[in-house]
Amino acid sequence: MNRRLTDGQFAWLLMVPGLALFLAIIAYPLVSALVTGFFEQSLVLPGRAFVGLDNFADLLGGDFWPVLRNTLVFTLGATIAPFVIGYALALALDAGLPGWLRGVFLFPWVIPGVVVSFLWLWIFNANYGVLNGLLGTHVSWLGAPATAMIAVIVTKTWASFPWMMVMLLAGLQTMPKELHEAASVDGAGAIRRFRSVTVPHMRAIAGIAFLLEFIWNFQHFDTIYVLTGGGPAGATKTFAVAVYDTAFKGFDLGHATALGGLWMLLLLVLMAFYLRKENA
Amino acid sequence: METLNRRAAFRLAGLSALGAALAACAPDAAGGGAPKGDAAAKRFGFTSWSLNEEAQKAAVRATVDAYAAKHGVRIDTASFPYNEYLNQVTLKLRGGQLSGAVQLDISWLAALAAMGKLKDLGAQAAKGGYTDVALSSGRFQDRQLGLPWTTGSIGLVANTEVLKKAGVEGMPATVEEFEDALRKVAKLGGGITPYAAATKAAQLKDILPWMRTFGSPLMEGDTITVGDDASVAAVEWYKKLYDAKLIAPDVDRFDARALFAQGKAAFYDDAVIARGVVAAQSPDKSLTEKMAPLARPVLKAGDQPQALLWGHVIVVVDGEGSDAAADFASYATSDTATVTAFFEKVKLPPTTTAGLADPKVAGDAFTTEWTEKITKTATPNPFWRYAGYAQIETAIAEQVQAVLVGQSPAKDALARAAETAKPLQK
Repeated sequence: MNRRLTDGQFAWLLMVPGLALFLAIIAYPLVSALVTGFFEQSLVLPGRAFVGLDNFADLLGGDFWPVLRNTLVFTLGATIAPFVIGYALALALDAGLPGWLRGVFLFPWVIPGVVVSFLWLWIFNANYGVLNGLLGTHVSWLGAPATAMIAVIVTKTWASFPWMMVMLLAGLQTMPKELHEAASVDGAGAIRRFRSVTVPHMRAIAGIAFLLEFIWNFQHFDTIYVLTGGGPAGATKTFAVAVYDTAFKGFDLGHATALGGLWMLLLLVLMAFYLRKENA
Repeated sequence: METLNRRAAFRLAGLSALGAALAACAPDAAGGGAPKGDAAAKRFGFTSWSLNEEAQKAAVRATVDAYAAKHGVRIDTASFPYNEYLNQVTLKLRGGQLSGAVQLDISWLAALAAMGKLKDLGAQAAKGGYTDVALSSGRFQDRQLGLPWTTGSIGLVANTEVLKKAGVEGMPATVEEFEDALRKVAKLGGGITPYAAATKAAQLKDILPWMRTFGSPLMEGDTITVGDDASVAAVEWYKKLYDAKLIAPDVDRFDARALFAQGKAAFYDDAVIARGVVAAQSPDKSLTEKMAPLARPVLKAGDQPQALLWGHVIVVVDGEGSDAAADFASYATSDTATVTAFFEKVKLPPTTTAGLADPKVAGDAFTTEWTEKITKTATPNPFWRYAGYAQIETAIAEQVQAVLVGQSPAKDALARAAETAKPLQK
């Protein structure tokens, strides 16, 4: 019998390799990690013991809240600052700034994140850093809680404003010029045209870009880890750094995966916002 | 042109996937087919952080190459930065991706030994001619899991030229004299950090010998005593130095070495390796002549100076090529010509009686002085016996950092550190 596959069956068969990979490298580790959150388990000691919700209770009774606060401060700072800078540069480029500048502004974005972080590590170094040299000060930018988070946000902003700029510039370039011309004819000035023409037109793309950057920053690791390692005294410890430290420096897989589970729940909320916005 | 129908396309995709899977499962070029635990294995690995450090990598490479040439084997080397080394090695060992010989800081042995994957090197230890103290640094629960590569201590190093300029006469012997010396150095200005003490969490474990200096035993029996009056006094003193800018913020061992190498620090903590490292970094070629080890100042005259034992061992992961790797570990740590040549290059004292007696080692004034002033009274860190020792030190370091940056009083912070450390004693 020569059975022919339906289009639906064929589509499923094509998906098999992808699904197998997904199950092997995403679904299984994810489920395994979530399950580990209910056990006391070490990275180096053999065996594990079921502890129910104890790991979650420990976290919610202590480390979770300062880490959440740090993560939100970093995420908001490292999203709003590049958004504002990127938007301003996109407007300037769209208004006629020379095109080659676009390439120049993209430069920080093409440098690997770890390299950017090391560059800024030397800039901020308290004892032989460039910034103190220029300012003639002896400030411990990365060693004081008050300045460490600002330094981390500045570094991340430098690395990510170009992406924001490109996204917003693409949006601006889809805007019909006639809208601005018509508004000008009606007597609208530059600020009024920005508020009444540009902002409404850009709302969707700016919202998506902002939300995506927010989600990425919520998970961000390398800049913070290289610059401060989450210090001083936990002042820049975000979820990414806390999970890494707990699992791979503290060897405590139970608490690390429990913290990862809570972090993932928060990310799911953000993802729901993103999907809703994208489908709107 | 012939076109593929859907069925043919699917077969082709299936064959490609099968081919890729088979290729992925095939033995790799790295000698996956080497016989297990075979002394005649022609290929094995060697993981070492020293291969990542400018001052030592050439000397370590020379040892590796000499053994490879002599025995006709290939040694695949791998390296990670010191501050990331323990967790990288732990992850690789857990994931079955680590084989062959592995350099370890003696403080990490318990953590890796707890994983039950290290080879017993008792046979190599018995014939190596190591000193008893050195051998003890590679022993875990009565098994010889590491062969000692170098054994020494972490102590204070001074720049005598800077001290002379500041008007400091003689080496400070008490905490009070030490503080006076730091204040005199501070008056020199010019961006000099009087004491480049660790203030980043990664090396804040350097506070532990100061806690002992102030009278804290750190542990009594199985009870952690961090948080007692003596340890609180030590941290408050450290904070006083920090606030007076006698120690600098944002400093770890590597920053301290850089500052000292540039003549921008009068004192810092390091191992005996300090001379080789600083010499490699310093623009002042005569700096090593101005370096002097000093016994850690004591609280009152007559107290015993405190120092932490320090050293490297080479362990071997059980399994593929482990016998050959064990032979390499034995060669690197006990072959007299090799260890003395290694000493000449990096100034790390050997661990065998024959190596220590060699005129090149015994006649080295700096090493002899270091041994006499620092190693002689050095003791192990009491937390090393626990697999979670690194977590215990991190718990203490983070709380000391909280004190330094003014987030918490010393008493509260150390009480929290002790509370965090208690469940980690396993």
